[in-house]
Amino acid sequence: MPEPATSIPLILASIASIAAVVLAVQRVRQPGKDEKPLWPFHALLSLVTLLCLGAFVYRIVVIHKAWVPVQAHVDGLLLIALLLAPAILYVQSRPRLFGLTIFALPLLTLILAWGVCATLWTYRPFSLDSFTPAWMVFHLAATYLGLLGCAIGAAAGAMYLFVQGRLKAKAGLGQVNPMASLETLETLIIRAATLGFVLLTLSLISGLVMVTQSDQATSLGKAWWSSPKVWLAAAAWVVYAILINVRSFSTVRGRRAAWLAIGGLVLVLATYGAVEALDQAQQSEPSDEAHAMEVN
Amino acid sequence: MRLLMLGFNHRTAPLELREALAFDNDRAAKAIRDLREAYPASECALISTCNRTEFYLARPIHDPPTIEDLRDFVIQQTGVEGDAVRSASIHREQDEAATHLFHVSAGLDSMVLGEPQVLGQVKRAYELADDCEAIGPVLHRLFQGAITASKSVRRKTGIDQGRTSVSSVAVAFAKNIFDNFGDKTVLAIGAGEMVKAALASLRRENPNRLLLINRTHQRAIDLASQLELTGSDHGARAWEDMDGLLVEADIVVSCTGATEPILTADRFRPLLKKRRGRPLFMLDLAVPRDLDPAIGALRNVYLYNLDDLQKAVEETASGRRELVMECEELLKGHIDRCMGEIRHRDVGRLVKQLRQRLHDIAEEEQGRTARKLASLNGQSTEQSIEELLAQHNHRLVNKILHLPLSQLDRSDPDAPMGFYAAALRRLFDLQDQPDMPAEAPPDTSEEDQSSPT
Repeated sequence: MPEPATSIPLILASIASIAAVVLAVQRVRQPGKDEKPLWPFHALLSLVTLLCLGAFVYRIVVIHKAWVPVQAHVDGLLLIALLLAPAILYVQSRPRLFGLTIFALPLLTLILAWGVCATLWTYRPFSLDSFTPAWMVFHLAATYLGLLGCAIGAAAGAMYLFVQGRLKAKAGLGQVNPMASLETLETLIIRAATLGFVLLTLSLISGLVMVTQSDQATSLGKAWWSSPKVWLAAAAWVVYAILINVRSFSTVRGRRAAWLAIGGLVLVLATYGAVEALDQAQQSEPSDEAHAMEVN
Repeated sequence: MRLLMLGFNHRTAPLELREALAFDNDRAAKAIRDLREAYPASECALISTCNRTEFYLARPIHDPPTIEDLRDFVIQQTGVEGDAVRSASIHREQDEAATHLFHVSAGLDSMVLGEPQVLGQVKRAYELADDCEAIGPVLHRLFQGAITASKSVRRKTGIDQGRTSVSSVAVAFAKNIFDNFGDKTVLAIGAGEMVKAALASLRRENPNRLLLINRTHQRAIDLASQLELTGSDHGARAWEDMDGLLVEADIVVSCTGATEPILTADRFRPLLKKRRGRPLFMLDLAVPRDLDPAIGALRNVYLYNLDDLQKAVEETASGRRELVMECEELLKGHIDRCMGEIRHRDVGRLVKQLRQRLHDIAEEEQGRTARKLASLNGQSTEQSIEELLAQHNHRLVNKILHLPLSQLDRSDPDAPMGFYAAALRRLFDLQDQPDMPAEAPPDTSEEDQSSPT
């Protein structure tokens, strides 16, 4: 159901995020003129954070009237944006990491735009009735925080590819480099992947507990282990397991690690998409009881 | 004397051509001796560094070699194709040649503006030419003036302060790959000036290990001792350990005098596995190159050479234009003084020649007059002696004035008459006297006919 108190802050946050992307691109394209003040970025990202926080709190207090904060797809997207925006704000304050905003801000903009769609056109609450609320909150918190780690890792991976490409092509060597060194970016990928891996592991364990404890059929079906969501989540887990050990595996260091970080996020997002698709499928199928009543 | 410069540098010639035109110490000495043998009246010096090969030559004004002769000499010495030499060479004469040397010494013509290494290279080129006995008074004054001026300009403007050396730019390059040098191993290959400067710059970043190898192990030990690289983590290692050290290294700086690459991609590829994918920053400062360019295409290897440094430096050079102008202004005074002294010395030599020639004429006439006096056989009268002396003076003046006054031949429309007139007034302190009739230039045939035998 379209909810103006959610959609309007999301639309405003999207516009602010797009403006921040434009400013960041200008700044990185003119590295010699980096004396420009940083306050416009800080102001725009603070605005995004406040708008997301306001909408998120509003939905908990007014819409859900319950302590489980994530009850719909849009709640999840709001939570990710709420976590990602301050993370970018922090990154902007680190001089040689500034370039990372170029890669993280479009991701934030994408999530916010997705949130706008999710509240205006594709609003759908999760089917939470069959799960223990405590496990559900733990599962969702781990999933969304893990997704934040994955998003930062992917942004760092994209930046690594960009910086590495420029170094190999020997482009812009005389310019003041606004980008981080390859070593810093690799460290960032590994740390973000470690965060993503730990939280993804917790998310998988809690999900497993929830599925095995539930008396009712879940969206994963009876053979939950063969669900695409489980397989995708397991694949993402493996990717991040490799990624956190990248300095021990000589074959995946450098560009390959960066691609793995991006691929890991794609898998996590695909898992997220699989949840939505399965929920949609479950909601479109009439329950057995309703079917029996219709027959009668 | 006429001053000539023929050169090739990083602005005019690509790295491949500079490699082919480079002279190591032995070849440079041979080239200087050959040039001296071909043109014994000339003075010559050769500056050959990673970024430039330049011949400086001072020769008598009307003597060879010409610039074209010099180009042919370079073609013959290096075996490089004539077209390549012609298209990539620059030449300067007289004041412009001097200005070029002064700018080179001050680092204004360097890849990295104000770099200090080039001054040492100019000094060594001067000493080498001196050892080959190819330096005369003109090049002595020129090189000494350039070295002194360079020091003075560097001190006054501080153009050599900050990130001005190739090595400091190299450190900035390395910082695109590494953030922290505290756990890194630096390997330097070679023991020359460039390696020394690069090690000095890298040392300021406090790397974990600083190792040094050179074909002549003693030179590596000497350099390590000069840089005070002591302890188990620093210092010279054996040349034979190169492969093992390449596995351990994170940063490799190479600048040897080898004429062929010392490390090829085929040799390096098997070492990559042992490195376990760790990134490697390689800097090849040598000309000809030490490291096979194909190594740069390998995974997690970042190889840069002098041309890459030049590109980087050119991008940042625009910010230092005002400083360059200040240096040029200061150098101009030094150049004018130096060339003034060289010209003054040239005039001194001309005056000596002129004096000698006049004495020769006077002695010749004195002998002639003495013979005439002797032929009088004691019948000389006061009148006859006076006549002889008058004839003597007339012939002497005519002979002395013959060559200069023949240049004043008014029938030649291209003769710089104004210049001659001004020179005559200045040299002989003459005043314009409008009522005096003009005199034709002397006719030597008349003089010869009038001379009694």
